[in-house]
Amino acid sequence: MDVVKIVGMGLIISLCVILIKQVKPELSFAVLVAGSIIMISMIFEYFTNVFGVLDTIINATGIDQELFQIVLKIIGIGYIIEFGAGLCNDTGNTSIGEKMLLAGKILILVISLPIVTSLFDIVIGLIP
Amino acid sequence: MGIEIIFKIAAIGILTAVINQVLKYAGKDEIATFVTLAGLIIVLVMIINMISELFVTVKNLFML
Repeated sequence: MDVVKIVGMGLIISLCVILIKQVKPELSFAVLVAGSIIMISMIFEYFTNVFGVLDTIINATGIDQELFQIVLKIIGIGYIIEFGAGLCNDTGNTSIGEKMLLAGKILILVISLPIVTSLFDIVIGLIP
Repeated sequence: MGIEIIFKIAAIGILTAVINQVLKYAGKDEIATFVTLAGLIIVLVMIINMISELFVTVKNLFML
């Protein structure tokens, strides 16, 4: 199944990184980036299936489509920030990775502001 | 988008290392540095293409 393929790929990539580190240290980062991109691109088709099902559920329940868009955006931002921060931590400079995580949190906060305001309006509406 | 890209990068790295040794042995040190730079640039261009492809797919997938 796909799990075995992914674990095998991960092991091969880390082996290549170790090998390249002796021969040419500056290329080890390139192998790391390429490997992580390959591993993730194997997963993407599952994402599309999941989001298709979620879309139908959202339409069935009549929840505002805009909220689902925001949730998707947050997931996307979270993933990219995680990808970049992980790579930065791998190269050793964790401070840059931390900066990326902080920026990601703030971006997610900014994007989820409409939800907070709509929630606030609903609460205000409830109070007679 | 399979494992062969990893092996391609590894091959480029090893090849540049070998060429470096040969050129160093032949006494042409400055060409050796150029070979190293060339190998590095080729790999970086490949990586940048892959990264842009990844970001485009993520952007389309999550409607960013």
